[in-house]
This record gives sequence, C-alpha cells and structure tokens, in this order.
Amino acid sequence: MTDSPTVRHHGSDMFEGYPVDTADTAGDQAVTNYTINFGPQHPAAHGVLRLVMELDGEIIERVDPHVGLLHRGTEKLIEYKTYLQALPYFDRLDYCSPLGMEHSYVLAIEKLLDLEVPARAQYLRTLFAELTRICNHMLNIGSHVMDVGAMTPNLWVFELREDCLNFFERASGARMHSAWFRPGGVHQDAPEKLLVDIGEWCETRLPKLFGDAMSLVIDNRIFKQRNVDIATVSKEDALAWGFSGPMIRGSGIPWDIRKSQPYDAYAQMEFDIPVGTKGDCYDRFMVRVQEVYQSARIIKQCLRDMPSGPVASLDRKVVPPKRAEMKSSMESLIHHFKLYTEGFHVPAGEVYVATESPKGEFGVYLVSDGSNKPYRCKIRPTAFSHLQAMDMMAKGHMLADTTAIIGAIDVVFGECDR
Amino acid sequence: MSSPAPLIAPREGLAEALKKLLGKDLLAHVQAVGEDSITVRRDAVDGVMVTLRDALEYQQLMEIAGVDYPDRPERFEVVYHLLSVTRNHRLRVRVTTDEVTPVPTVVPVWPVAGWLEREVFDMYGVLFSGNPDLRRILTDYGFQGHPQRKDFPLTGYIELRYSEEDKRVVYEPVRLAQDFRNFDFMSPWEGADYILPGDEKAGGTGEAPGKGAPTPMTADQVKKADEAKAAPPPTPKTTDKPAQTGAGSKANDAAAKTSEDGAKAKPASKAKTPATAKAEKAPAKAKAPAKPRAPRKPKGGDA
Amino acid sequence: MSNTSILTPGQMPVAPGTAPDQGFFDDLNAEVGDKGFLVTTTEDLFGWARTGSLWWMTFGLACCAVEMIHVNMPRYDMERFGAAPRASPRQSDVMIVAGTLCNKMAPALRRVYDQMSNPKYVISMGSCANGGGYYHYSYSVVRGCDRIVPVDIYVPGCPPTAEALLYGVMQLQRKIRRVGTIER
Repeated sequence: MTDSPTVRHHGSDMFEGYPVDTADTAGDQAVTNYTINFGPQHPAAHGVLRLVMELDGEIIERVDPHVGLLHRGTEKLIEYKTYLQALPYFDRLDYCSPLGMEHSYVLAIEKLLDLEVPARAQYLRTLFAELTRICNHMLNIGSHVMDVGAMTPNLWVFELREDCLNFFERASGARMHSAWFRPGGVHQDAPEKLLVDIGEWCETRLPKLFGDAMSLVIDNRIFKQRNVDIATVSKEDALAWGFSGPMIRGSGIPWDIRKSQPYDAYAQMEFDIPVGTKGDCYDRFMVRVQEVYQSARIIKQCLRDMPSGPVASLDRKVVPPKRAEMKSSMESLIHHFKLYTEGFHVPAGEVYVATESPKGEFGVYLVSDGSNKPYRCKIRPTAFSHLQAMDMMAKGHMLADTTAIIGAIDVVFGECDR
Repeated sequence: MSSPAPLIAPREGLAEALKKLLGKDLLAHVQAVGEDSITVRRDAVDGVMVTLRDALEYQQLMEIAGVDYPDRPERFEVVYHLLSVTRNHRLRVRVTTDEVTPVPTVVPVWPVAGWLEREVFDMYGVLFSGNPDLRRILTDYGFQGHPQRKDFPLTGYIELRYSEEDKRVVYEPVRLAQDFRNFDFMSPWEGADYILPGDEKAGGTGEAPGKGAPTPMTADQVKKADEAKAAPPPTPKTTDKPAQTGAGSKANDAAAKTSEDGAKAKPASKAKTPATAKAEKAPAKAKAPAKPRAPRKPKGGDA
Repeated sequence: MSNTSILTPGQMPVAPGTAPDQGFFDDLNAEVGDKGFLVTTTEDLFGWARTGSLWWMTFGLACCAVEMIHVNMPRYDMERFGAAPRASPRQSDVMIVAGTLCNKMAPALRRVYDQMSNPKYVISMGSCANGGGYYHYSYSVVRGCDRIVPVDIYVPGCPPTAEALLYGVMQLQRKIRRVGTIER
C-alpha cells in the first residue's frame, strides 16, 4: 500500500448497473505520499510546534516535530545571572505550572548548600506545588477536550484556573510568575485567610465545577471515540522513550517521584497514584483527572498539618532578611545588600534534582564552581522526550488524531525549547 | 541530609557491581551529595549503557547534558542521567570529549537519546557517531556556532529585523543599545589582576596578580610623574594677534559674498563679524554630518 | 434633522467601559422609527464597525498566551468588546503577539502578518514582545516584535494580567476611532 499508492475508483457497488471500468485508466495518476506542514502557528499546536508530517491520504506515515521555535537561550542566560536572579527564568519555562519549575531549582540549590528548610516552608511549598498541579491540569484537560471538539468543559475549568491564579496572586503578588519559592523556603508567608479560602475551595468549588465539567466528557461517546486506543504506548516503550509523569503512569507504570523519592513534605502525605491500563490518550487524560482529586487531597492534608514557624531558613548567608529587620539591624542591612547584589555562593559540586512536575519529571542538573552564578544549569524538560516519541505514537493514526495526541502529551514550549 | 531534596537511598553494593561489570571501562566512581556518578571510557559508552540497563536495571535515560570546561584538554563533558524505576536509584555517567572526537551514540540502547544527543550537538558541537539524525534542533534554521560553549557570547552574533526594501526578515550583526551589565562580585578587594569595570581611566595598577594593594608612590615618584605629565606645555589658547582670530582678507572675502537666499538675509550677513560668519559657514558643512545620530532603523510599516 | 442623526465620535456609545447613554439610544430609536434610516459619515461608520469587531489572531508564543486565553474565558470575556479569537490570519483584524518572539519564529510571524488583510493592527503583549524583556540579551530572541511588524499598542507586564490586555484592546479601539480613515 505504501509503496505504490494509487488513486482508484472506490466501491464499484456504488455504480451498480453502470459499466464501470475499475482498471487503471489514462486519467488515473499515481500519487505519492505528501508532506504537510502543521504549524508553527496552529491553534491546536499548544504553542509554537511545527510538525512536518508525511501523509498517505489521511494516515500519518511519519512525523518530524520541529522544536526550538521558542528557544530563548534560558540555560545560557542563567549562567550569567546569580542564583536568585535566575529563579524567575524557571517560572517562564513551563508557564502553565510555574511553581512546579521553581521547585526543582530551589531544591537543587538547597541540596548543594545542604540547607535546612523550616517545616512550614516545606508544607507551603507542597501545598502550592499541588495547587500548581491542579492549575496545570485544568489548562491541559480543558484544551485537550477542546482540541477534540468540546467547548463547554473548557470554559468551566478555566474558571477554576482563574481561582488558582487568584490564590497565587494573593500569596505572591503575581498571577502567573510568582517567583515565590526561594532557596531556603518561600518568599513570604501566605495569609491566614488565603489558606482558609484554599481549603474551602477544595471542598466546594473544585469538586463541583470540575466534577460537572468532567461528567460531560469522561463517559462521552464522542470523546471516547477520539481518544480510546489512540497512540497506545506499551510499558517497554514508555521506559525506552524516557516518559515520565502522567505519560508513564498512563502506560501502567506506577512511578511518581513524589512517592518514590519524596521531597519537601511529600513523605508525610497520603495520596494514591492513578495508573492507566492501556496507555492510550484516554488513559493519560483520566490519570490527570484523578490527579486533580489527589492533589486536592494533599492540599487538605497540608492545611491540616501545617505547623507554624518561619517560612524560610534563618541562615542569613542565603536567605535575605525581611525589610522590617533591616530598619533596626545593621547586620541585616549588610546581608540584604550583599544578597541582592552579589548573591550567595554555592559550594562547588554538581547535583541532579528531579521533581514530579505536573507534566512529569522536571530535572535540574546544576554544576557549581563555587561562585555566585551557576556554572551550568541544564534543564531536563518533560515535553522534550514526550514530543520525540510523537513519531512513534502518531504513526498509522489519522491526521485528526494528532491534536488528541498533542493534547495528551501536555506539551508546553517554554519548557520544551527553553 | 538536611535539605528537603528528593530522597534517594544509596544503593547497596553498587560500587562493587560497577567495578565487576564494567572492568577497565570504569574510570572513576564518585559519590557526592548523595549522588553516584561514574566516569567511563568514551569509546565504550554504548556497551556500558547496555550493561547498566540490562544488568543493573537502569531502565530509563532521563537526560544527556553537555558541560563545557574550556581549559581542559578534552573540554566537553557529556553527562548521562540514568534512572532505575525498579531500584529507585539515579546514576550519572560521564564521558569527556573534544570538538572533533565523536562519542558513540546510545540511540540503539534508548531511542530517547536521539533528540538528547541532537541537543548536545546543537549546543556544544559534540559529535555522536551513529546517531541517525544529527541535525540542529533548538537553534534557528541555519544557525552558526554552538551557543552553550563558554566562548560563545551571550548575545550571539546576529539579530533579525524586517527589511522594508527586501520585504523579508533579514539577519544583521548584533548591535545593542546598551551592553549587558555584568557585575564582577568575585574580584578581591585589592590586587585584581585586571582593570575593574569603571576603573578604566585609572589605567590599572600594572601590578602582578595577587600582589595586594598597590604601594603608595614615594615623594620622588610623584614628583617625577608630575614632571612627566607637565613636560609638553600646552600651547596657550589666546587671540593676541589679528592672525590668531582668523580674520583677514580671506574671511572678508567670504563675508562679502551674498548668501544663497539673497536679499532677505543680506542685512543680517553684513552685520556679522567675520568670526561668526566663519563659524556659521563651517558647521553647515562639517558639523552636521560629523556626529550623526545613529540612523534609526526602518521600523517597517505604515503606522 | 436633529443632531442625533449624525454619529460623531464624541457621541458614539462605543467607548467601552463607559455606561451607554440611554438617552442617546432613545433618540436613535426615535430617529429610525420616524424616518427609517440614519445619516452618518462613512468614516464614522467604518470606525464604528472596526472598533466593534476586532477579530484577533491568536498568536500565542509563550507565557503571555496563557493570559491571552484567560482574557477570552468567562471571567474576563473579551467577546463583550466584539473581539473574537480567530485561528486564521485571513479572517482577523488584529494580531496579539503574546510572548517571546524568537529568531526561529520571526519569519513565520511576519508571514502571518502579511497574510492578514488591511486594515490590520498589532498589539504587542508583554515585555518580551515589547523589547525582549527578561530575554533581551539572549542570542536567539528578537529584541522586540516591532523589529518585525509595526506595532500599534504595547501592553507592558510580564505577563500582563488579563485585565491589562483588555485595557490594551480598549486602547486600540480608541486609537482606531481617533485615527481611523478609510484607507489606513
């Protein structure tokens, strides 16, 4: 079929009773596979993905994803900034889950510094990392549903996302790029009322709106037809292609870094890891849906168990003092000045810290030469590996399935291209 | 460990197993901050990876990172990060190479390596022999150079703009309105072996690095330096003689000429002293084009 | 003829954010009811039509794209201002450049801009599109999308909030009303 695809008359029964010549006629042309260019500006590409696809009719033969259209040179820029100045770059990597990106970076710095973080800060970070997960999944679930043709759930889950952004704004002052996780803790304490509101939100608005929205799609016949058995990935393939996060769990491997290599307060949390059975787009989607509920569970536990106390390490060689302290203490003033100009020095060494970001394993390989700037900061994006498997996953599927596959990968280009 | 970083239990008997299985391919095994990293022979990396995957259960290749150390003979490090989901352990495998020596590819071991190696090639120019698709991946189509190398400037060499004449996007050498400000906090208080930013006028101390603060000059030296400075006395700027004013028949002739716009300007030009006339004539020719504002680039468009 | 029959910019109730003047509508209604038609200048009419249906091209590049989506979602609901997202440049009047414009993407951006039909407007959203922002010194970033396309409105912020973008769109409507001519 692929060797010499030709256009023939289809279904001669259509012309029953008429003399139809089914043999090749002079007007028939042998057509070869054709190549189409999907993107880089495409509403379903989730950003600036460019896919060069070789099609046989409507069947995908080969996909060559072109990435790098949002390559901003983040890793190079980080090498020219102090550790603290480089932190906001992480917000801007995966702009759907900014705090998840910061998490890996601050943990990497803390590991190199061997810095202790107060319990309240660990709980706050866990809480907001999970809130970020919900926030991220809202965007992904909404757009995935929209890519395969449903509009309403997207409108509803974005309302929840809007709530999340409000929470971030109340904690840090910024809707998206919070820069709230800092080496040694968090930048400032979350107000009491905010924590109460988050707790209430997890009890009321989230389950109601999200449950309503999902009730429209998870049993929906059309949605299932668009997703079930699309881009099935076996366990072996998932391992070989470097999958992580919902992608590997969708394939049936119960691997979650929060569980197996717990960081911050995750060791004290009780939660389940949803796992798919078949490894298709529908499984990945459902893993994310379930993760939202599990995240809400973790948030509630955080709120229940959160101790009081400082929200950042008191090591004044790393964490700058608060402004009020500066007014009365000369030493604080000096620390503040030194930390915001020169920054802190990190002992020479190298470390690879990976956390379970909403999209999968987000790793930071940090090489320090003992100065105040990272010598090398390699960012391990999640989408890079997943997108590479696009060819493997999309082969043999229809062109229209591409959007479902991209949606289920949950690709964000700020992170993929860096 | 007191930091809240991901907890990874050390793997029992890893060092012995590595030694036994890898033999002379294993060059070094370091444990630091709770992470295992091994250095292996470059030529053997593909075989080592198969061993690590099959015998030691490191099923996943999570990352390939390049690192550049320009002052080493083999300046690049290629760092593989492996993950074992069954043993819950991470291992870092390192090989070194230079600009021309290729590293054997690990694509047959893990297909995910394809893009990861492409990225290292793109960023550092490390070659991977056997990679079926070693194209650039992240940088622009037709990009030249390898941006993550330490000798590649942060701002690169080229920039883009839309050219109204060519009706397309054109590449030009990079020109910054303001340079990237890089503060040097690493310099010692005294005895920096280079001129500190902002100290260019001081001319530097000329001292050998690490020698400490420059010794104050002795009185003779100061005197000598002053004399040296004062040696060529500046010519006094005076207008004692008529010749020094620039006035004379030449200037008078010039002043006598009617200006181009004729009668209207005539009374004014007559009243002018020769000196001002000259001053006015000259700038019209020389001053305006002498220091032109950098021409604004055509911003394109009709707005 | 009463003066309400001439739609002058000052009287037009299209200024978003301002409460519509009920008296104006009553007069208009009476006018139409009485005569069956309205008299105005074509310029005013075109300006009014343009400000009222700014279909925008979704050119989401990076972080700002998320806020650009948010402004379309129920909470901010940009369609109140007649601004609907379009996926095709051929159908759109305004392009919102939302996010960092990288060298690799710049030719595509220009091509999309060239495909839009006149009159066309560009809103540059966020620091990166305005002038490179946080990535100004990078080797792979265009230092401002105005190097590639002419920009009408710059919205500052990193990213600008959804409200800020909304305000930017309103500013564009103001600009169109102010400088609007038949041929732009």
